Amino acid sequence: MAEEMQLQESRGLPRKRKFAKKQGHKKKPKTMPPPHGQKKVKIDKKMKKLFRKRAREYNSDDDEDEEENEATVPTTTNKHNGEEIDSEEPSEGEDNAEGGRKRWNKNATDGHNEFSEDEGGEEDGVVQPGIMKFTEGVRAFKLAFKNIINKSVSEDSLGPILSGHKKLIADKLAEEEAERETKGEAKKEKQKLAEKGHVKPANYLVPHEKFLLSVATKGVVKLFNAVNKAQTAQKGLDPSRNKDAKEIKKRTKAAFFSELGKPSFTATGTSAKANALTNKVEDEQPAWAPLQDNYMLTSSKLKNWDKMPDKGVSDDVGRASEDSDSSDED
Amino acid sequence: MRKKKHGGFRRPFVVKTNTNTKQQPHLASVDPITGKKIPKSFVFSRGKIPGPLKQLQMDLRKLMLPYTALNLKEKRRNNLKDFLNVAGPMGVTHFLILSKTATAPYLRVATTPQGPTLTFKIHEYSSAADVAKSQLHPRCPKDLFTNSALIVLSGFVSGDLPLKLTTNMFQNIFPTIDVKTVKLSSCQRIVLLNYNKDTKQIDFRHYSIRLQPVGVSRRIRKFVQNHQVPDLRNLQDVSDFVTKAGYGSESEADEEAATVTLSSDIGRVNRASMKSAVKLQEIGPRMTLQLVKVEKGLCSGEVLFSEFGKPGEKGKSDDENDEDSEGSEDQDQDGNGSEDDEDGEGDEELN
Repeated sequence: MAEEMQLQESRGLPRKRKFAKKQGHKKKPKTMPPPHGQKKVKIDKKMKKLFRKRAREYNSDDDEDEEENEATVPTTTNKHNGEEIDSEEPSEGEDNAEGGRKRWNKNATDGHNEFSEDEGGEEDGVVQPGIMKFTEGVRAFKLAFKNIINKSVSEDSLGPILSGHKKLIADKLAEEEAERETKGEAKKEKQKLAEKGHVKPANYLVPHEKFLLSVATKGVVKLFNAVNKAQTAQKGLDPSRNKDAKEIKKRTKAAFFSELGKPSFTATGTSAKANALTNKVEDEQPAWAPLQDNYMLTSSKLKNWDKMPDKGVSDDVGRASEDSDSSDED
Repeated sequence: MRKKKHGGFRRPFVVKTNTNTKQQPHLASVDPITGKKIPKSFVFSRGKIPGPLKQLQMDLRKLMLPYTALNLKEKRRNNLKDFLNVAGPMGVTHFLILSKTATAPYLRVATTPQGPTLTFKIHEYSSAADVAKSQLHPRCPKDLFTNSALIVLSGFVSGDLPLKLTTNMFQNIFPTIDVKTVKLSSCQRIVLLNYNKDTKQIDFRHYSIRLQPVGVSRRIRKFVQNHQVPDLRNLQDVSDFVTKAGYGSESEADEEAATVTLSSDIGRVNRASMKSAVKLQEIGPRMTLQLVKVEKGLCSGEVLFSEFGKPGEKGKSDDENDEDSEGSEDQDQDGNGSEDDEDGEGDEELN
């Protein structure tokens, strides 16, 4: 049989190849290529009928030997049919044999379902009248599958689990939630503490803020006016000439005192600043620092701050006059 | 500990003299005209402070620009001594220290190296970002921080020791200006400290100064300032645009009181000897402070004034001892210092 097959193959190969080539040009594969390991098989109509019949009559109680016999029978017949059919595969014998095997495998898989059912039944210990026939088995499988699918999913989000496990899971979940709660509270407390004192200002202008704004504005206006006076007054004079320098000093002093003399509720505010300013004015003798008499020798203001309660901020005028005396001495 | 500072050539450690100096456009540590030191400051925190306070610290640093270390980096293990060691060669004269306890954040203002320390309790604060959010048109021109801020103190009339200290301290932190030579264009920011006698709280505000020409109609002013071409399609003639009488806003009434005559030109629109209005807009952090403690040394030494009496201050000093490695604090109270016994608040501080 094998030799025959081979002879046929050798003879048929070139013939088949040429034919295959031509066929290749004309035809294009419209169907999906078969999966790896399996070769394409054309099933004859007759064979189809045979298979259907076999499926109807299939009974798992039959012996396995019978199955094998049945399987071998179709392979030989297939081989015959395969030669007649135009197929693109070079080695048909093998191909058909495989196809037959495939078909047998297919039957077997269907049968396996039945087997499992049967086996399931048998494993219970009691031989139950399980489903033996192929067609019934298919139906039975279908019903069983439908039942499983149609079963409503349990509401428990954990899914189908064993009952004992359920309790453990529930406990765990409760624990986690409790933990999260305490952590959340602790975090909130921490945040509250961090934000203590932090105030977001209002969008509109609160009267108090308006008041503060006006205070600041008045201070700035005073300063700018003082600057203006001081700077315009000295425009005409050259600071390097000694005579003029004294003139400048006098003028600025006068300007400042007139400014300070103006009554306003920010008197201490601006006078505090002007205090420092007058100090500047008085301390300046020659324009350049190292030429001054008291360059880097002035006593630290802050060293004596604890003795300063006598000289109040409001006494700036007095102090300015003292300094002016000292400066006039040189 | 890395520091970045603009300018400031390194000087040998000098005993701190009078820190009132003139304002200089360049960052020198010594004012060449008067020979006095320009006060420089470090703003940092002791202990761990939460997020919003960190923002406040950053805002305070910006406020103290340009004479401060903007990118001062501090590590957990830095002590006050470390800061002191660096402060000397760099000519830093003041420390502003932020810290937080369970009750409230605190701000300590101290003079280096051995100057007095004033401790303020921060009752409320808002960061610059919060303030900007609350405004319709937040304004921050990019050269706003190139010059120091001016300081205005108001309400500090009473003349008793702690207030005087506060006044002096804040005056010394900011470089003073010489009226004769200062350029008005460089006075762009102002810090206001307003003391409320009744509540004993100090309001701390930070504004930016803006000058606007007065007497110019609103449309022309906007046109010149914003360079936006106006819409003339409804007008017959350009003269209509120029002479149209616009309604006056309510802020113009305030402007009347705030007009100044400038001695020089500022910007494109404000000309010398023309009237301009001073307009302030709040930028920067907002704080409500209360002076609680004055110490003679740098976060140590004799306590000269304490708001809450002995038990209260002991609680606070324990916090400080945890943070600093400085010597223990004396609990002596100066008899001259005025004390207010507020035991209720003192208990609060203990906790």
